[in-house]
Amino acid sequence: MAIINNDKYTQRINWHLSKYPDKRSAVMPLLYIAQEEYGWVSPEGINEVAQLCDMDPTQVKSIAGFYTMYSEKPKGKYWLQVCNDLACALRGADEFHHDLLHHLGIEEGGTTDDGLFTVEHVMCLAACDKAPMLQCNFHFMENLDMAKMKAWIEEKRAELEKENS
Amino acid sequence: MVKIVIDGKDYEVPAGANLVDAAKNAAGNDIPVFCYHPKMEPVGMCRMCIVELGMEEIDRETKQPVLDDKGQPKVRWMPKLQTACTQKVTPGMHVRTATKLVEDARQNVIEFLLTSHPLDCPICDKGGECPLQNLTMAHGPGGSRMVFNDKLKLDKHVPLGDLIYLDEERCIQCARCVRFQDEIVGDDVLAFHERGRSLQIITNSDPGFDTYFSGNTTDICPVGALTTADFRFGARPWELTEVPSICPHDAAGSNISLSTRLDRDAGGKAVIKRVMPRQNEYVNEIWISDKTRFGHHFTRSEDRLLHPMLRRGDTLAPTTWKDVFARVAGDLKAAGSDVAVIAGGAITNEDLWELKQLAAGLGSERLGTWTPTYGGADLVAKVGVGKGTNLKDLGKGDAVLVIASDLEEEVPMWRLRLKQAQDRGAYLVVANARHTRLEDFATQKERNGKPVSGATIRYNVGEAAHVMHELKTRYPEIAEKLAGATNLVIVAGAEGLTLDGSKALMQAAANFLISSGHVGKANNGLMSPLPGANGMGLHYMGFTPENTQHIMANPPKVLIVAQAEPGEDDPTAAAWLSKVETVITLSLFPDKTTHYATYALPIQSFAERDGTFVNGERRVQRFYTAQGPMGEALPAWKIVAGMREALGQAKPKVSAAAVMLEISNKVPAFAGCTYKDLAKVEKQFPDVGGADLYYGGTAYDNKGGLGVQIATSADAGETPAVADVTLPAVPKAKDGELLLLPTTRLYNRSHVFKPSVLVHPRVLLPYVELNEADAHKLGVQPGDVVEIAFGDDTVRVRAGINGTPAGVAVLPRELADKATPFLPTSGTIKKVTEPVLA
Ligand code: SF4
Ligand code: FES
Ligand code: FES
Repeated sequence: MAIINNDKYTQRINWHLSKYPDKRSAVMPLLYIAQEEYGWVSPEGINEVAQLCDMDPTQVKSIAGFYTMYSEKPKGKYWLQVCNDLACALRGADEFHHDLLHHLGIEEGGTTDDGLFTVEHVMCLAACDKAPMLQCNFHFMENLDMAKMKAWIEEKRAELEKENS
Repeated sequence: MVKIVIDGKDYEVPAGANLVDAAKNAAGNDIPVFCYHPKMEPVGMCRMCIVELGMEEIDRETKQPVLDDKGQPKVRWMPKLQTACTQKVTPGMHVRTATKLVEDARQNVIEFLLTSHPLDCPICDKGGECPLQNLTMAHGPGGSRMVFNDKLKLDKHVPLGDLIYLDEERCIQCARCVRFQDEIVGDDVLAFHERGRSLQIITNSDPGFDTYFSGNTTDICPVGALTTADFRFGARPWELTEVPSICPHDAAGSNISLSTRLDRDAGGKAVIKRVMPRQNEYVNEIWISDKTRFGHHFTRSEDRLLHPMLRRGDTLAPTTWKDVFARVAGDLKAAGSDVAVIAGGAITNEDLWELKQLAAGLGSERLGTWTPTYGGADLVAKVGVGKGTNLKDLGKGDAVLVIASDLEEEVPMWRLRLKQAQDRGAYLVVANARHTRLEDFATQKERNGKPVSGATIRYNVGEAAHVMHELKTRYPEIAEKLAGATNLVIVAGAEGLTLDGSKALMQAAANFLISSGHVGKANNGLMSPLPGANGMGLHYMGFTPENTQHIMANPPKVLIVAQAEPGEDDPTAAAWLSKVETVITLSLFPDKTTHYATYALPIQSFAERDGTFVNGERRVQRFYTAQGPMGEALPAWKIVAGMREALGQAKPKVSAAAVMLEISNKVPAFAGCTYKDLAKVEKQFPDVGGADLYYGGTAYDNKGGLGVQIATSADAGETPAVADVTLPAVPKAKDGELLLLPTTRLYNRSHVFKPSVLVHPRVLLPYVELNEADAHKLGVQPGDVVEIAFGDDTVRVRAGINGTPAGVAVLPRELADKATPFLPTSGTIKKVTEPVLA
């Protein structure tokens, strides 16, 4: 695993670096790439970004820590950010969030043992009209209820099983 | 100057000044601050400095102030309070600092800060000298509304590096430490992490908070959040006695304060508990390097030589001083004038004077310096930086050239201050045969959003003098910028040079300065990172490296080796030291030189006595007695005076002050340098210590003296003449061999640094640095153990591969357990397989 010398990212990294006169300006988009590769902003990822942007790893870590969209803890394959801000809450998001945690058997912010799901609550994601909703790896899933979620979860578990066998 | 009004009174203050500074200086009005520090850019983070701010109303047509009924200018007050630290004074500015509104606001800020502060002052190192304590007493609320159980519980012992610990609960998040590292040092290894209540100081660098200046953050941290591994829980500040002193380690001559206390562990004797900066804006401002701060443990080392020793066969046996003086006098008489002295760079002027007198009385002028590597100290005396120089004044339009020196390792304080000169706009040129830390700054185009300018020159090892001499033809653009600068300082070292090479470099640099008119005035001229704290003192007392070469080639009957370690430093020491009939060593430690000694005599360290050093900017500075003597050790000058008395030369002086009085009468350079003169102080800015520690930090106010800078002959009106430069042969490796390039490391295994155990993790293992191609040829991988052979000697070290010039192997001095060359030397390197290193 790496983002440097990884064909998957070379083009995007170079594009981001080329956008700014100063390399360090590209630190945020590159942190996203690191997060994509490692599933979280791992120490390796931070060091690679520091190297790419010609910055001290301390400064990169500081930026990763400031913004909540970067995760500094390992996450499951699916990072489920459930909105329970006011509008969603009025449509039962609190209960949905609670039931989802219960169904997966984890605490808020936790990850399932199989490494598949992490659940976390967040503030308004600007999809209030489609509540309850969540964001899975930065993609929206809308108009949810537990039945839909359970089916989706089973689907993902089956996929994992298939991969493993 | 502009006129501003503070609390109804008019003041004239410098245009563009920071409001907090202006209020303090002009009005004596202490606007409280936490995050603001007069040496750094304001950030407005803590809100402690809020004041009411208004501007006089100006009539748009007449451009005159609008007057009210009473004929006073009408003031438009801003609706909200403003942070004073982010304001620059402008004409017609009105400030109120004592209104109810301001007082309430200050109280609120303090109360807010205390909600997440542990209030563990009774066990806090900062207790007693803490800005948070002081400002809480002055401006805070009398009681607390905080529910104790709501306090944040955080980690209280987070090592940020080997030397600095963070207490997360105490931190008030002012970012002084972060900004110090970023703005002043230029190593941004500290930062904030997370935000809001979770905000914390972190380092994520490898190796952690590991810079040569890290200790300074503990001085400017306005709370006890940062503490040093050396002092934490060591003593309470109010138990300490402060003794003004001078850093004995390098040419900067940093002013320090030795905080001493009578200590149970030392049998009730006074010992140094910590070393703190003492403000001298000319020399070290309010900073010191970590070597200065943590390198004091040698003074109490158990390995110190404690008794006068006399050789009996193969061993040294203790004897009495009386016996020593009588015997030495006999030996000296027998030797006639065949007597010589070699003195190291850490010895005081008082010692040197007595040594010089002793030799003179016997008819000898053979006075040598150790190590005999740096030439041209005479040129520093002629065209050194002019009287009144302050590197802090260098900035826009000025230029600095650093050549043949790794300043970060040799004189870190200079590197700190010159980097800041570049920040202020000076043009910084770094010339060396290899990469050095300062070069990183010289190549930058901008720093912290501000453009900086610089250039680097790379030459072949040993060609520094050639480059300097031919700068105008080889690097016309750089030479033009240097010559055209308003002020120009050249720092010329001796890395990669023979003594002749070093002398030629110094002359070439002097010539450049003379022909471009940069001599004889403040902030212009030549500096040299002479080893030790008193390199220039050696020069003024007539000790030269040429004499040392002569002594090594023609060993005398009696040789006095004073605070010098040829046995440790010179691989060829055996060859010449063993030819001396009687070696008399004056040293702190028994070392490889004492092997050759007939008399091994213990001297007192700088902490046990008073004395003076002359720093690289030729400032004569005085230090005071801080702790009791070790064993029977005496100050070196007293030992020599004892010998002189036994010889019938003179009666010993009663004190170091009396010796200096004589020096000031007899040696013209030291005229006006009596202890009284050296103890003179003047008001300095920024205010530090005592009641002002909320402002500048816990550096100490200078009460021991700012010292006296010796005038150069150019200062004195003598017109220096350009002299011919004899370009010496460049040191070359023999066919099929490599050129071993000796370099200096700040942290090393010398006797005076080894006892500072807490710094050990940061002292590198003995190593040699190779070029990639050379390593490949030798079949050496990074980390391999190699055997280096030079002359008749070998040493085993670990190999590193790090872009050194082809054919060159960088071999730092004072890291290995035996002497390695101090001049560029041809040698061979081969890989060895047996495990040989710890
Ligand atoms: S550790 Fe000290 S200097 Fe650094 S931010 Fe915290 S309070 Fe300020
Ligand atoms: S409140 Fe949930 S998306 Fe807006
Ligand atoms: S905001 Fe001015 S001192 Fe902190």
